[in-house]
Amino acid sequence: MTQKKARFGTTLAIAGTLMAAMTAAHADTLKIGIAGPVTGPVAQYGDMQKIGALMAIDQINAAGGVNGMMLESVIYDDACDPKQAVAVANRIVNDDIRHVIGHLCSSSTEPASDIYEEEGVMMITAASTSPSITEKGYQLIFRTIGLDSLQGTLAADYIKASIKPQRLAVIHDKQQYGEGLATTVKNLLDEAGIKAVMFEGVTPGDKDFSALIAKLKRNNVDFVYYGGYHPELGLILRQSREKGFDAPFMGPEGVVNSDLAAIAGKAMEGVLATAPKSFDQNPENAALVKAFKQRDEDPSGPFVFPAYSAIQVMTKAMQATGKTDPYDLADYLRANRFETTIGEIGFDAKGDLTEPTFEVYTLHADGSKTPVSQ
Amino acid sequence: MTETSLYVLQQLINGLTIGSTYALIAIGYTMVYGIIGMINFAHGEVYMIGTYTAFISIIGLLTMGISSLPIVLLLALITAIIISSTYGYAIERVAYRPLRGGPRLIPLITAIGMSIFLQNYIRLAQGSRDLAMPALISGGIEFGDPAVFEVSISWMQMIIWAVTLISMTALALFISRSRLGRACRACAQDLKMTNLLGIDTNRIIALTFIIGAALAAVAGVLLGLYYGTINPYIGFMAGLKAFTAAVLGGIGSIPGAMLGGLILGVTEALTAAFFPSEYKDVVAFSLLVLILLFRPTGLLGKPEVEKV
Repeated sequence: MTQKKARFGTTLAIAGTLMAAMTAAHADTLKIGIAGPVTGPVAQYGDMQKIGALMAIDQINAAGGVNGMMLESVIYDDACDPKQAVAVANRIVNDDIRHVIGHLCSSSTEPASDIYEEEGVMMITAASTSPSITEKGYQLIFRTIGLDSLQGTLAADYIKASIKPQRLAVIHDKQQYGEGLATTVKNLLDEAGIKAVMFEGVTPGDKDFSALIAKLKRNNVDFVYYGGYHPELGLILRQSREKGFDAPFMGPEGVVNSDLAAIAGKAMEGVLATAPKSFDQNPENAALVKAFKQRDEDPSGPFVFPAYSAIQVMTKAMQATGKTDPYDLADYLRANRFETTIGEIGFDAKGDLTEPTFEVYTLHADGSKTPVSQ
Repeated sequence: MTETSLYVLQQLINGLTIGSTYALIAIGYTMVYGIIGMINFAHGEVYMIGTYTAFISIIGLLTMGISSLPIVLLLALITAIIISSTYGYAIERVAYRPLRGGPRLIPLITAIGMSIFLQNYIRLAQGSRDLAMPALISGGIEFGDPAVFEVSISWMQMIIWAVTLISMTALALFISRSRLGRACRACAQDLKMTNLLGIDTNRIIALTFIIGAALAAVAGVLLGLYYGTINPYIGFMAGLKAFTAAVLGGIGSIPGAMLGGLILGVTEALTAAFFPSEYKDVVAFSLLVLILLFRPTGLLGKPEVEKV
């Protein structure tokens, strides 16, 4: 037993030396870890992050690399499982990688970011939207995607600027996501002097909204913000139009779903919603979209362009500082603004984007959506 | 009329609509309880199967090019009644009859098992996403001063009242006039004695399951069209509400189930009218507790007399 242990130790030592030698031999490459689900039920989201990051790495290498170094991607699979994410983070640290794109699921990103911060690894997530990740005051953790809660701010701004309702109603489904957003919208509008005449919850799974609709009619409501998901909003819309209540509705990303069109039918036409920007529709990204299409990859996923931009800002910081040290890069990221495929962005002290990556859309009865010009 | 009275009228109309469908489903609970003294918890799922059958037959008829509204409605209603009744009968045959005479808790457990089985079976067969019913009937009438408050009654609401009224009258006539109805009443009074007098009680029990399922199917078709979406989980809440209605009216009593359904529906609508609508279930169930405190047998229930 002791002999076995000793032998194992020797093997490790040899392997370690070998690896150190290999790293030394390839000093002209810089490894970047891409961590996310490659397997498991949400592997398709991991794929979005991967194709975005790989495209950026390939294009940067084709243009001569960064500071004379070629980028090399190393893909790690956390299967969106917090336990495996911790294992992956430790492996990345052991593999001596100091720059990571990932993780994807907020539940994986949170435990992994602890390890990266402690071991001096820079991590930029292109997909995790949970506000709590950046609450801990990390130095090396950033994200290139907006927080869910920003949708409430955006919706309130839009209602303030473009709708100016006289008799606003805010309805929600009593769940964390829906009620959270509805409360944000209500409070922000309240501060701006637009008081909600109704603020009410509905029961998720409920089918009969006739009483609620009669109340909306009675209060002469002229605009409704709904915090929640599509099954309830679909029914409210459908039953409202049947009962002659015609005020416009607005909702968060949770209602943007092709099923909404099936449930609400024609009543869906003109509903407003905040949703992540479709970066692939931006004409400035046309060349990049074409490059994805040539590789037979789909650029329309919500995490493709944020992942691309994560590599962009990281390498821009390396070029500007001439260093690869995560702490120098982090200082540079916080101090500067960057032109990226998701628009001009900057980072605040917590590492979050200073601009929301959401946009207001008008939904149509055929299930499509068009951005609202403000 | 003043604004408030028009508003209350509107909410009464909404409440009566939903209440009459509760009553239709509640009949199934109350008839079964009246005869064999068990709660058929799978009854809500029979209602759900009714909505799915209606959905499938409506889509089928529309794709076949049959778009005449009365024909589509009638055919959907008939198919839903046939399929749901078959399920009602099969549930009784498979899950309850072999256990009759055993401890009372056993059929309760199989009922819950049956409910879970049916829910998951439909979920696997039809998917768990919401399916949207085509909007067959739209529009209605509106009255009242548009400047004050406009009361709207949709055609669909009127159809629900009419169909409920017809079904209830048919049921009342059947129970009071027909030979089978008399046998049902006899079974409810004393199952053993009825059996001794030469009536096939198993057949009568099966019949009550079939009648209950048929009325649940009617409610399923109506509510499916009224609300517009269906999913495999709607049976649970509908079953719970209908069961409440049955208990409220006095379980075992058919007029009680009708009254209980209407009271529950109107209470919900009026609560949602004057309080935040999330409280409507709270108030409805508090009402149930209150009524049971003062009338443990429900509004129209008869106290159980120990038979000697």
